[in-house]
Amino acid sequence: MSDKSPAIRPAVIIGGNRIPFARSNGAYSKASNQDMLTAALDGLIARFGLQGQRIGAVAAGAVLKHSKDFNLVRECVLGTSLSAHTPAYDVQMACATGMEAIGSLANKIKLGQIDSGIGGGVDTTSDAPIAVSEGLREMLMELNRARSTGAKLKALSKFRPRDLAPNAPGTGEPRTGLSMGDHQAITTKAWNITREAQDELALASHKNLAAAYERNFFDDLITPFAGVAQDTNMRADSTLEKLASLKPAFGKNLGAEATMTAGNSTPLTDGASTVLLGSEEYARANDLPMLANFVDFEAAAVDFVHGAEGLLMAPTHAVARILERNNLTLQDFDFYEIHEAFAGTVLSTLAAWEDADFCKNKLGLDAALGSIDRTKLNVNGSSLAAGHPFAATGGRIVATLAKMLHEKGSGRGLVSVCAAGGQGVVAIVEAR
Amino acid sequence: MSPRPTEVLGVAPSLGSLYAKAAGARVRAMLPGSKPDGGGLPMVEHHLEALDIDAAHLVAYQRLMGDTVRDELPSVFVHGLAFPVAMSVLVRKDFPLPLLGMVHLANKVKHLRPISPRATLSVTAYATGLREHRAGTALDVVAEVREGKELVWRGVSTYLARGVWQGPKPGSTAEPRAAFAAPVRTASWKLAADTGRAYAAVMGDYNPIHLWAASAKALGMKRAIAHGMYLAGRALAGAAPHGDGYDWDIEFATPVLLPSTVEVSFRDHATGTAFSGWGARSNKPHFSGNITVNDEAGAQG
Repeated sequence: MSDKSPAIRPAVIIGGNRIPFARSNGAYSKASNQDMLTAALDGLIARFGLQGQRIGAVAAGAVLKHSKDFNLVRECVLGTSLSAHTPAYDVQMACATGMEAIGSLANKIKLGQIDSGIGGGVDTTSDAPIAVSEGLREMLMELNRARSTGAKLKALSKFRPRDLAPNAPGTGEPRTGLSMGDHQAITTKAWNITREAQDELALASHKNLAAAYERNFFDDLITPFAGVAQDTNMRADSTLEKLASLKPAFGKNLGAEATMTAGNSTPLTDGASTVLLGSEEYARANDLPMLANFVDFEAAAVDFVHGAEGLLMAPTHAVARILERNNLTLQDFDFYEIHEAFAGTVLSTLAAWEDADFCKNKLGLDAALGSIDRTKLNVNGSSLAAGHPFAATGGRIVATLAKMLHEKGSGRGLVSVCAAGGQGVVAIVEAR
Repeated sequence: MSPRPTEVLGVAPSLGSLYAKAAGARVRAMLPGSKPDGGGLPMVEHHLEALDIDAAHLVAYQRLMGDTVRDELPSVFVHGLAFPVAMSVLVRKDFPLPLLGMVHLANKVKHLRPISPRATLSVTAYATGLREHRAGTALDVVAEVREGKELVWRGVSTYLARGVWQGPKPGSTAEPRAAFAAPVRTASWKLAADTGRAYAAVMGDYNPIHLWAASAKALGMKRAIAHGMYLAGRALAGAAPHGDGYDWDIEFATPVLLPSTVEVSFRDHATGTAFSGWGARSNKPHFSGNITVNDEAGAQG
């Protein structure tokens, strides 16, 4: 290390803004990713008076993206009142997109490369890209390359009517052909997670989110969009009986042992979220609040293709590493934000941390990481109630957690977000 | 070295004409009074000097299997290149069993090192190991692929002529099949009705049992069945190593009727990956196999 290397400085979470999340093919069915992310940015800009400012960088992304949206985030920035001199780039790490975008901005702030940054994400499954079939695509590409009339006719002769069937994007894992829910069903069963436990977690998510709305917790975190003021998936009046009446939606091959339903799994959702980060100097100079420090983040990935690990279990590995690096235990947190892709994901993650064999053999630890105080888990609701527009979930969690920590005035929060491809990103946030 | 005399083929035999020949033999075999020749296997090996490796076919194969397009010949693709030469042995006049309707039981392959798509490869194939099986008569077809003098690929395919016995039909020796307990699935393959036709279009194996329900019915199947090598190719695309040699084997239990969903398990172990497939609806085992990384490769890894 040379003496000239800059000191690491804190990256501060100043605040966040998102639009309410809406169930797929509902309120936002006509909204594009660009519309929604721009709306979330507009709200953030208005809340923190960022009009005309040159922000260090805006990093966000979408999991399902039209090819015309190759520069989605920059296009959004150009549509806002931020200075046109604000650079922006797209990030894509499946459901961990938002966390990766925010974490990498925090690193740049810590290193002194930028003073401010906006991270986030957006997704729509209502305005999703639909691709033409491979057969039609190959025919069109060949037609495009053809020079002579003969070559063009030859290319056209390869057209088959069945090529007209379009390919809609799905949540299937390309290498396994299994949907994310069917993958989680394997893990849920392996950890003996019961239907009742999953339904209880789902109910708690709805109740907690509803209570947070009730006490106006989200007033400075959400800007209404397209006539929607609250997450449309939330069911404040849900009951265990209602949840228990639902039929299995995933892992149906397990027959009577299938436990995962539409009630204890997140629905497809549309929405966007943003988080404003900055250095302490930036926040002070602009008279902005400092809710929490973004302390550290860690990504992990597992081999689910050959059965070594469950698809959504990477955060268990990432948490083991981030705890060690920060010299913390799993119990050293006041809030746990574990993204509820499925109730089974959260419960399998907790069970794995409590399991000595798993922690020794898979995480390489001396002993189990242990249990957490469940009253500190997703206390203002999570994805089961709010919904999960893939890339927007990280921003929702970070802004929510930063505000919770600031309200408490002390303490620390742990974020855990699983992602497709056997990946996950976790983070540590500290009150200030 | 094999003691068999070598018959050098001038050009690669076309599978279409081989199947036509086999169909003719089948019709003759159904005529009254006809029965298996009862003779042994022809003591000869067929040799083809230069295999035609078509780059477009290779890409089409890699796409079909969901594999990455890369500059190595996939092991099942090599099998497909050698297959017409192997078939040419089975349609010889002095071959004692009817080819069409023969069941593919197993493969055992040594993929000794990575093989370049631009390599000049020769193939030698012969039949061996004629033996009684509880359901008929089994035999092995060995294909050896060389680059220059170096053996780079050796495959043993085991086939069964069901219900054909060279001697008297043995008493019921069928062993009761143990109840199948499916392992934990790690993948699911949705195979469309045209899976057999898609594989045939790429590899040239237009065996009618794989193409259409009607043509398969004529050969005693309820519907068209997936090529065993298609299933092996999918398994290898999922787990075969690259940049190294490896051994692999596959055993076929029940045929995959098309269309259908095959549940699949891949499981890594100390020396490679075990895989198996079974019917999502039937819960009957379809195939199981193993990929073993070569010792040297293992030491590196």
